[in-house]
Amino acid sequence: MFQVGGIFQVGTFIFSVISFLIVFFIIQRFAFKPLARMLEQRRIHIETQISEAEKNREEAERLLAEQQRLLEEARKEARNLLDQARIRADEQAREIVQKAEEEAARILEESRQAIVRERDEALAAVTKRVAELSVELTTKLLRDHVTAELHNDLVVEAENKLGELVC
Amino acid sequence: MPVFPTLFPGTIWQTNVVVIATIFLTGLIVFVLLRLAVARMDMRHPRGLQNLVEWAFDFSESMAKDVMPSDDSRRFVRPLAFIMLLFLFVANWLGLIMTITVHFDPHLHIWGLGPSDLQNAKGDVELFDSPTSNMSMALGLAIMVWLISHARGLRHPIKWFRHLLRHPPFGLLEEITNPLTHGMRLFGNIFAGEILLGLLLRAPFAFHFIPWQLPFIIVWLLYSGFVATIQAYVFSILMCLYIGMKSFEVDSQH
Repeated sequence: MFQVGGIFQVGTFIFSVISFLIVFFIIQRFAFKPLARMLEQRRIHIETQISEAEKNREEAERLLAEQQRLLEEARKEARNLLDQARIRADEQAREIVQKAEEEAARILEESRQAIVRERDEALAAVTKRVAELSVELTTKLLRDHVTAELHNDLVVEAENKLGELVC
Repeated sequence: MPVFPTLFPGTIWQTNVVVIATIFLTGLIVFVLLRLAVARMDMRHPRGLQNLVEWAFDFSESMAKDVMPSDDSRRFVRPLAFIMLLFLFVANWLGLIMTITVHFDPHLHIWGLGPSDLQNAKGDVELFDSPTSNMSMALGLAIMVWLISHARGLRHPIKWFRHLLRHPPFGLLEEITNPLTHGMRLFGNIFAGEILLGLLLRAPFAFHFIPWQLPFIIVWLLYSGFVATIQAYVFSILMCLYIGMKSFEVDSQH
C-alpha cells in the first residue's frame, strides 16, 4: 500500500479531499454566492416585471373600458341634446307660424273693421250729403212754402228713407 | 502503469502531486468560468456563457429538488451539487483534452521516484491527467459525500439508527457498498477511457505508415467525452440521493 504507484494511496486520498474542500469553499464563497444572488435578483426582477406588466395591462383595459363608457355617454348626451334642440326648434317654428297666423288674422280683422267703418262713415257722409242736397233741392223747388220746422222734419225723414235704402 | 511525481514517498502520507495540482487547476477553471459569468451577467440580454451557467444552475437545482426531501436539505445541497457537477465535468474532460507523459532514464532519482518505480513504469512519468482517473481521489470524494450524509443523518440520531437497521443486514451493508461503488464507478469510467486512449495512441502504425488506429481514437474520444459528461451527472445525482436519504428533516410547511 505504501509502494509508489500503488493503486490506493492514503496520502493522495486525504490530500485530495482536503484540496477539494479548499477549492469548494473558495468557489462557493467567491463565485457561487454572487452567482446565486444575481440569479435570484434576476428572477425577482423578471417576476416583478411580469406582475407589473400584468397590472399595467389590467389598468389599461380598465381605462379603455372607462373611456368607451364615457364616449358612449357623451354620444348619448349629444343625441339627447340634438333631439331636444330639434323638438324645441319645431315648437318654436310652430309658435312662430301660429303667431304669424294670429297676427295675420288680427290684421285682416282690423282691416276688415276699418273698411267696414270707413264704408259706414263714407256712407253716412254720403247719406247726410244726399239728404241735405235733396232737402236743399226740395227747398229750392218749393221756395217759400217750407218753414224751418218742416225743413227739419223733411231732413229727418229723408235720412231715414236713405238709410233704409242703403242698408 | 505510468507513475506520478510523488510527495512523502515510502510513508503513509505519500501523495500523488499531479492529482492535487489538477484538483486546484480544475477548481481554478470552474472559478474563472463562474466569475466570468457573474461579471458578464446581463439582466436583459443573457447570452453565451451566462446561458450555459444558468442552465447548469437550473439543472443542479432541479436535480437537488427531485431527490431532496425538505427545503432545508435542498438549501444545504444546492451549492454542493452545482459545484460538484461543474468540477467533475471539467475534471473528467481534462484527461481527454490533454495528458502529458515524460520519459526518464530509469536510473534516476527524481520527484520522489526511485529507479525501481521508474523501471516498473518503463520510465514514463505522467505530469498531467484527469484527477478523477485516480482511484484514491475518486474514493476520497465518495467517502467525503458519505461522511457528509452521515453527519446530516446524525442530527436525528434515532431516525438515523432506525434507517440503518431498516432491512438488516442490507442497510448496514449498503453503507459500505454505496461509497465504494460511488467512487469506483467514477474512477473506473474515467480511468478506462484514458487507458484505452493511451494504448491506441502508443500503438505502432501498420507497416510503419498506415494510421489504422485513427478512426478508433476518434470514436473512443467521442465516447469518452460522453462518458465523462454522464459520469459527472451520475456522481452528482447519487451524491444528492445519498445525502437526501439521510436528511431526516421534515418540511415545516407540509
